[in-house]
Amino acid sequence: MKREQWERLKTLFNGALDQPPDSRHEWLLREAGGDEMLAREAAALLHAHETAGAFLENPVTMHPADVAGIDQPFGGARLGSYEIEYEIGRGGMGIVYCARDVRLGRRVALKALPPVHGDDAGLRERLRREARAAATVSHPAVATVYALEEIDGHLFIASEFIEGHPLRGEIERGPLESRRALSIAADIARALCAAHEAGVVHRDLKPENVLITVTGSVKVVDFGIAHAESVNTRLTRPGEAIGTPAYMPPEQLIGGTTDERVDIYALGVVLTEMLTGQHPLAAGRRAMPVPASEIAWRCIQSDPNDRYQSARDVLAALERELQNPQGLRIDAVSTPSSRWWWEFHQAIVAFVYAVMVWPTWIARGVIGGQEGNAVFVAVLAAAILAVTLRLHLWFTSRFYPAELGWARARAMGWVLASDALFATALVVAGVLISDTQPGLAVLEIAVGIAAASAFALVEPATTRAAFRTTSRL
Amino acid sequence: MGSDPDSLMPLVYDELRRIAAGYISRERPGQTLQATALVNEAFVRLAGEKARPFANRTHFLAIAALSMRQILVQRARARKAAKRGGAPQRVTLDEGLVSAEGPTVDILALDEALTRLAALDAEQARIVELRYFGGLTVEETAEAVGSSPATVKRQWAMARAWLKRAMESAPEDGVDDAS
Repeated sequence: MKREQWERLKTLFNGALDQPPDSRHEWLLREAGGDEMLAREAAALLHAHETAGAFLENPVTMHPADVAGIDQPFGGARLGSYEIEYEIGRGGMGIVYCARDVRLGRRVALKALPPVHGDDAGLRERLRREARAAATVSHPAVATVYALEEIDGHLFIASEFIEGHPLRGEIERGPLESRRALSIAADIARALCAAHEAGVVHRDLKPENVLITVTGSVKVVDFGIAHAESVNTRLTRPGEAIGTPAYMPPEQLIGGTTDERVDIYALGVVLTEMLTGQHPLAAGRRAMPVPASEIAWRCIQSDPNDRYQSARDVLAALERELQNPQGLRIDAVSTPSSRWWWEFHQAIVAFVYAVMVWPTWIARGVIGGQEGNAVFVAVLAAAILAVTLRLHLWFTSRFYPAELGWARARAMGWVLASDALFATALVVAGVLISDTQPGLAVLEIAVGIAAASAFALVEPATTRAAFRTTSRL
Repeated sequence: MGSDPDSLMPLVYDELRRIAAGYISRERPGQTLQATALVNEAFVRLAGEKARPFANRTHFLAIAALSMRQILVQRARARKAAKRGGAPQRVTLDEGLVSAEGPTVDILALDEALTRLAALDAEQARIVELRYFGGLTVEETAEAVGSSPATVKRQWAMARAWLKRAMESAPEDGVDDAS
């Protein structure tokens, strides 16, 4: 149709609309003059107009998934050589299907990535590279990536299909039994070892990405995909980091340079969550079994250089604890009232130790010479050490209860040494002055025995009261 | 209208996707959105940003309408491709909906007809794009195309009639024959 014909058609159509409905057709024939084609065209348009009803009157409606670039469930549909069986799950980033690869006859998890805008060949190439890297990781605890598929311009990642449930569900039901938590953490560490050795960093390790299979084994999913997704979709704004903030170390949060140590941080958070049910930075969280808390603590250091430097190091530490039958006993229950007696005990002991320096100074004069000095120096050194440590523990208990288990574990050896030295030195001093100063001697020996027995009997009792010892083994 | 819609397309496109993804994570199964709601939300968000690349609201709406058309057409194509080989079935976006808004529209057929209309009358095609894919009112459309509401109404009426005819008489391709 030529330009002028279209303009004439427009004039005819508009003119006809201005006529009363029943005289429109006569009006058209009259106005079209001899141009029968044009008259017929206009009449057809007019007919379409009269019968159009609500056609296009309401703006298009759509499923949000259509716009987000995420597929609606379409069971039985074919995507390339994959036959969709059902939808496994979806999130803001993508949708995961259980599908059958008809070429190989195996089941796969097919994850749809939101579409790349336009035809960014460089971006596609990069995604392909990352998928290829992820596909090189082969380990029983890693869900194998099979392929990055491009089907009708849409990107999909096909990976091992795993029958199981996410670790998140277990954590939500409460803290896991210690040995099981450490053993899951060790499996995750093994998966990280394999991936890191292949040069693949997960970057979005979290309980949702750790699956417990029906046979009870652990599978880490989505290796290398977090990054691919965000690069692909550009759903992150500039300055927004990739991943899940709660599991990201500072360097990842601020979008700085990151390496495999981001995964070690995330593992520390996951381990803490398994043991306490809470995030390590949660206010008033429960304390953890001591050795596990130490491992988690080192994983979640802000400075990557203060963390374990490799997944292998974390794994070694976890395996050590798993082999140590005593290691998982102490389970601190941190309520201020249960700690009151324990704190009181620490304060009293610190006070007594400090006070006992004075009578020992007198005893030094009585004993005299080298021996007197030696005994006094021993008591003074033991008292300074013990008072410092106990006040440190008291302070930690008052103000940082979540770190108490960790602090106690670190201080325990020194507390034992200082108590033993203190008690021994006092008894020795008492014996040496028993001839000349029986009164002072009795005091020294009595306090020495009291200190030893307090350490052996009273402290375990107050500790038991403060840190309920559970037999989780 | 004005400054190069091409450079602003990705911005709007991504914003629409982001909002839609947000709707999914809030998860109301089976929920549908009208273009108007999505486009307006995108405008509110982008207008709140510091660097406002749009001359005005209608400038934005025009780009948003174009983006919506592209997104939905791309989607319908993918779905049609996915279903190829299965039972012959007409692919419509509103599929499965019990629609209170009248019969469903075949997006791919509409897109094709709209492209043909644009060759005859670019302004009419644009009006359809703005109203149907962007959810613009007659007044907003008039502002966007720089004409009067009365003219837009006439153009709209003719475009709608022409498209209806074009889509009814369009030769169906092999896959869609059975519908």
